[in-house]
Amino acid sequence: MGAGSGGEQAGGPGGADSLASQEAAQQRRTGDSVTRRSTGLAEGDEPSDDELLDEPLSVWRLAMRRFFRRKLGVLGLAIVTLLALVALTAPIIAPYDPIQQLDRVEGTDVARRDAPSAEHLLGLDSNARDQLSRIIYGARLSLPLGVSIVLAAIIVGASIGAIAGFFGGWLDTILMRLMDVILGFPALVLAIAIAYVLGNAIQNVLIAVAVVTLPQYARVMRASVLSIKEVDFVAASEALGASSWRMLRTRILPNALTPLIVLGTLGIAGAILEAAALSFLGLGAQPPTPEWGSMLAQEYTLIRTYPHLVIYPGLAIMVTVLGFNLLGDGLRDALDPSLNE
Amino acid sequence: MRTRRRLSAVLLVGALVLAACGGGDETETADSESPAAAPTGSDTGSGSEAPPPASGEAETTMVANEAGCGDNKVESIEATSDTEVVFTLCSPDPAFLQKIAFVVFAIQPSEYLAETGGAPLEAPVGTGPFVLENWNRGSEITFTRNQDYWGEAPAFETLVFRWAEESAQRITEVQSGNAQYGTNISAPDYELVNADDNLVLLEDLNPNVFYMGFTNTFEPFDNPDVRRAIAMGIDRQRIVDTYYPEGSEVPDFFTPCQIENGCVGDPWYDFDPEAAQALLADAGYPDGFDTTIHLRDVFRVYLPEPQTVAQEIQTQLAENLNINAEINVMESGAFIGEVSEGNLDGIHLLGWGADYPHVTNFLDYHFAGNVQFGDPYPDIVSALAEGAAEVDPAAAEPIYEEVNNLIRDEVPMVPIAHGAAADVASASLGNASVPPFGAPQFKTFQPEADPLVFVQNAEPISLYCSDESDGESLSACEQVLEGLYQYDAEGNAVPALAEECAPNEDGTVWTCSLREGVTFHDGSDFDAGDVVATWAAGMDASSPLHTGNTGGFEYYTYLWGGLMNAPAVEPTEGATETATSTETGSETTSEAPTGSETPTESES
Repeated sequence: MGAGSGGEQAGGPGGADSLASQEAAQQRRTGDSVTRRSTGLAEGDEPSDDELLDEPLSVWRLAMRRFFRRKLGVLGLAIVTLLALVALTAPIIAPYDPIQQLDRVEGTDVARRDAPSAEHLLGLDSNARDQLSRIIYGARLSLPLGVSIVLAAIIVGASIGAIAGFFGGWLDTILMRLMDVILGFPALVLAIAIAYVLGNAIQNVLIAVAVVTLPQYARVMRASVLSIKEVDFVAASEALGASSWRMLRTRILPNALTPLIVLGTLGIAGAILEAAALSFLGLGAQPPTPEWGSMLAQEYTLIRTYPHLVIYPGLAIMVTVLGFNLLGDGLRDALDPSLNE
Repeated sequence: MRTRRRLSAVLLVGALVLAACGGGDETETADSESPAAAPTGSDTGSGSEAPPPASGEAETTMVANEAGCGDNKVESIEATSDTEVVFTLCSPDPAFLQKIAFVVFAIQPSEYLAETGGAPLEAPVGTGPFVLENWNRGSEITFTRNQDYWGEAPAFETLVFRWAEESAQRITEVQSGNAQYGTNISAPDYELVNADDNLVLLEDLNPNVFYMGFTNTFEPFDNPDVRRAIAMGIDRQRIVDTYYPEGSEVPDFFTPCQIENGCVGDPWYDFDPEAAQALLADAGYPDGFDTTIHLRDVFRVYLPEPQTVAQEIQTQLAENLNINAEINVMESGAFIGEVSEGNLDGIHLLGWGADYPHVTNFLDYHFAGNVQFGDPYPDIVSALAEGAAEVDPAAAEPIYEEVNNLIRDEVPMVPIAHGAAADVASASLGNASVPPFGAPQFKTFQPEADPLVFVQNAEPISLYCSDESDGESLSACEQVLEGLYQYDAEGNAVPALAEECAPNEDGTVWTCSLREGVTFHDGSDFDAGDVVATWAAGMDASSPLHTGNTGGFEYYTYLWGGLMNAPAVEPTEGATETATSTETGSETTSEAPTGSETPTESES
């Protein structure tokens, strides 16, 4: 009982028409729902009538459209793009050599730990080096490092997850228990242990952080593979005689990439943070390499007396992590419309 | 039944008294001038089979190394009367007085040691100017004036020890009036103190040296010309001027000049990059070479900014000598371990803070056989052996002049800086100063307010300082406990519980006449038995009272060549163990006052 039955009673002679219009409305609603599901559109993204008449949009183009409608995601992209540009053009835009001790240069009147000034916008560090230049060059190290860590973790982790999910059985059990073992350790502690054993070097930081983060990619990939391999088009490929590897490569992996992209983008932020933490602990980049974590480590005791030496490298880490987090959130919203329903 | 028990007790006490008298007789018959004639056995209470003496029982009158000297420096310690103790050494030790003045060797009552089973960890009983009133763990330690002090009693009633990890916290405590004295101020915080009229900086003159060491078993540091080239190619004045606080100095010698005979001989090389490059080219490295600078990122007075100074040295090596050096920041324990075994290929940055005011503390430890710099330099080793046998400082001067010149010629290391440190005090605190050795002598301070509150880096570990090596424990012990000698405000070893300790002709037997009429804080009288009992508890590994806090007794091991009657160990392992424990002991102690800064700064 409710509005429907009330409407039927009130309809009188016109009740049949009313019923028909209600059914049509119901059909439209159902149709809308189907359309939204099939195109992946969210509630606020309903296409206009003109758009419905256009050529159908690909999933990626729709995702892009949704991404650019979210300001925070765009802000994240802008930050990351800017940082990438800074990293790429560091030798051009950095005002000084990042490892040049400026108090050794004849004719200069500077002292170490000089406060920010017109000549040195972020001041000088404890070795009288221009801090702005060091932070700019730091982007050249931190960004590729974060991306490399995530790429390495995705390549290894996703492969493990895909194999485990697709083949199942004892292989699945062994691989995933191995991942569980890694997950059982606190990530940073395990990364410290690995980096310590491998020795103090930036490439060892890459290995250490990649190892501790790969289980999450393996688990996500395995879950995606498990759900996708039950879908009809995979069964159709199998019926047509496709090999297991071909099905995995051409049917399953492309359809399981979406969550990995989101997770990977968010993972870059975490990887940069963990790499900075390892460098802060002295296990990563060695001096005089301009790395944000090691810059912090060298100066953090001076936070009361020379706060600029601590705040700016810290800000650089914070802005970078924020940028990748916003970008990751935006991508997740764009690629996973179910979150918006 | 009861009568039989009483009879047994009387007989037992009588037997013990006779045993004690017997020991004394035996001692008296021994020729204390002649080490060979001195009994080598352990007397009452020092052997492993003897039970710990209970309160009021006969005291230990002698402790000796049963198996002979071996590596030990002390053969026996014997109470020849109530007021005389004789130390018989295995070889002459010119630093004997300076060593026994260290608070680790402070005397406690024999009965009290026995009561506590050799572990009076929380409540030391001494003869010092202050009596321990209360140790509120985690909060503070309160001392009160010793009214019966044999010397000049303190001018105030109560002394309170508190602790704060950060330099800035300690300054804030003094600024706010919660404390009148704070220790170990970080150099960047000097400005905070100088900007406040109510505070004063007190210069800390503890002798130390920071150096860059070479291991001569690795190329190219096996070539003396390479080492000399680096010695000339480093602008040490720039390092000290730029990275060290006021009062720091560029060394002319490895040993600081406060130490007698430390600064004799030819001063160090002048900075001359052209000559250095020419020397390096002659040595076969016209284009320089690749190497590594090893260090630990731990704050010390001699190296307040390890990474910053390492990068300065890295830059200077590249610019002045075309030497391309990578920096390797190591974990502190691993670094010390590798250094002490001579395993580091390249340059290592390390330093030394004085344990006791004698030139042997600097030179002998580093250059008389230490493998830290690779294969020992035989000419330096033999000269140091000669110096170590000379008790008279004046007679030893030409020997140390030769040693210093040999070090300059061989360049096992380059001394870079003598670092200065400072404490902070309220401007109203009268007579405040920092002695070069040991804790501030609060007994001489004249505070406006009572209590006088002192803030140090950390809480003491225990107050049984025979078995402690951290500066925080030792500074608290110094207020309560005294040894036969003590350091005065200038760092000289001066008589305390002994009126005098005099050597025999060859410096192997030291006879100490004890101060009479001194009482411990528990009211018991101080006598020679207390001296022997205290030393036996610390030095005799077979003593039932050799318990302590950890049982390590690092300073007894380090300063006296090992413990007496220690269980035998495998020769190779023994050698390694000695080297390691020696390094640990000195590292911990010499730098202990600043070492507590480490938790904050070494986490990086």
